[in-house]
Amino acid sequence: MEAVIEVNELVKEYMVAKKESGLRGALKSLLFPEKTKVKGVDGISFSIAPGEIVGYIGPNGAGKSTTIKMLTGILHPTSGSIKVCGISPQADRKAVVRKLGVVFGQRTQLYWDLRLGESFELLRRIYQIDKTTYEENLAVLSDVLKLNEFIDTPVRQLSLGQRMRGDLAAAMLHSPEVLFLDEPTIGLDADAKHAIRDFIKEMNRNRGVTVILTTHDLDDVEQLCSRLVVVNHGKVVEDGPIESLIHKLTPHRLLVVELQHPCDDLSHPAAEIIKRDGLKIWYQFEKQRMTAAELISDLSQKLPIQDLSVKEPDIEDAIREVYKTT
Amino acid sequence: MLQAYWYITKMRLLTSLAYRFEVFASVGTNLILMLASVFLWKAAYGGGIQQVNTLNLQDLTTYTILSITLSSMFVCGVQDTIYYKIREGQIVTDFYRPIPLFACYLADDLGGMLSALANKVLPLLLFASLFFGIPWPSSAISLLLFIPSCLLSYGILWLLSALVGLIAFWVMELGNMGIVKDSIVRVLSGSIVPLWFFPESVQTVSKFLPFQYTYQTPLGIYIGTVGTKEALAAMGIQAVWIAFLFILLAAGWKRTKTKTLIQGG
Repeated sequence: MEAVIEVNELVKEYMVAKKESGLRGALKSLLFPEKTKVKGVDGISFSIAPGEIVGYIGPNGAGKSTTIKMLTGILHPTSGSIKVCGISPQADRKAVVRKLGVVFGQRTQLYWDLRLGESFELLRRIYQIDKTTYEENLAVLSDVLKLNEFIDTPVRQLSLGQRMRGDLAAAMLHSPEVLFLDEPTIGLDADAKHAIRDFIKEMNRNRGVTVILTTHDLDDVEQLCSRLVVVNHGKVVEDGPIESLIHKLTPHRLLVVELQHPCDDLSHPAAEIIKRDGLKIWYQFEKQRMTAAELISDLSQKLPIQDLSVKEPDIEDAIREVYKTT
Repeated sequence: MLQAYWYITKMRLLTSLAYRFEVFASVGTNLILMLASVFLWKAAYGGGIQQVNTLNLQDLTTYTILSITLSSMFVCGVQDTIYYKIREGQIVTDFYRPIPLFACYLADDLGGMLSALANKVLPLLLFASLFFGIPWPSSAISLLLFIPSCLLSYGILWLLSALVGLIAFWVMELGNMGIVKDSIVRVLSGSIVPLWFFPESVQTVSKFLPFQYTYQTPLGIYIGTVGTKEALAAMGIQAVWIAFLFILLAAGWKRTKTKTLIQGG
């Protein structure tokens, strides 16, 4: 299948002015600014097929937002190529953004002082959506996002969750093929997060919208994304389905054992004791080498076990592992 | 597409009308400025100041009243809009819409201008008429020429403002350059003191700058200091400046798009 987004060897360099501390430093950097070249994005490549929900994640400053900005045509890459729906956003920004819906969680494209519906009306004219399509779309969006409760409220009076729902609707009004979401659940309560995740799933399932999601909320990733692209220091460090990523990055499991009374010989040849706290002991073992049941039966033969639990590594462990090692 | 621009204008109109305090404050300060200026001219003429170009006190009063009224109407928010949007990173939301940015900002400012016409120009003219009598134009023809000249003035002012906005894409550290530009415009446009009172050398230099064509030209036409023929010539120069500044803006914008950095996020 033809890829919706094709990114090839993308590089973005920019100059950062070095600021020195103190008044002297401020004067010096005012008169003789010292600039250093920084590679925000350093050779990123990936391609995304229609209908995928891809989590694009990485620590702060990894180059996520810079990539998104280049994908939307806001920034021009230093080198490398981008194709969104077959078009380069740098060559024809307007044609590309017609096919995109974009939401930046920390910004809003809604008009602050006017009622929410007013912003939608403006978008209808900007994207030249005909009246019937617009009304159909709005009806569907209202239904999923429950916009009716606040469509006549000025945007500045909306709660963060309502505003975010408004922004999502605004991004979907023109039936885009691709949706870019940059931290859409930032600062939201559990309910609002839930609503937004449902919305993303719904749009993906019913309209076949391809979604690219950057987030620090790993629950988002776990519940929505089928695939993860992990970046760090401007490079792609992992790219693949979530399960295999977890599997690959965290081959360990934990067994937590609580003893009835202190014992001397706690060791096991295939498991490592990584933590001890009174009568509680944490064993780490590789799931390829032995099963939890084997370890438990070995240990229970020599130790007076009171209680035990097995911990599966989760996405958070996997991600921490990636950030640490790259 | 035109519908979209009109809607932006309309939205700005609605927003501006919603801020009532801003209107009172603006009318209030402009009124005080107007009174002070007119009384200053009165005092100067009472002391037997040498008359320039046969300008009498009535002409100058009219000039001042209209100058201040025009300044409240010529809304050029584009420089501040761009500056703050870049500073806060909000500019990205304008970029992902399939519509040219500067045209949106123009539509927005035109909305501001329309609302100013209703809630600033009218009260200012009303109060001025109460205090100093109605500021009549020198003739029907001068009024007729005054209006298109004002529109051209606005074109020059807006493009200057947009160019300053463009600078913000390049150098954030310089702060808001708009304040510097505004001061230069205020003095060299003759909006406070007509350039006819300035030394010969300043007047000569000023002929080759865009500033005097923003306020002095339409106001001179209105009070009849600038005759019909000269007025048409001056409007020609205004048009040339608009063309020049427009080309500058278009070229600058093209370059800016490929080279700039957008803050944050």
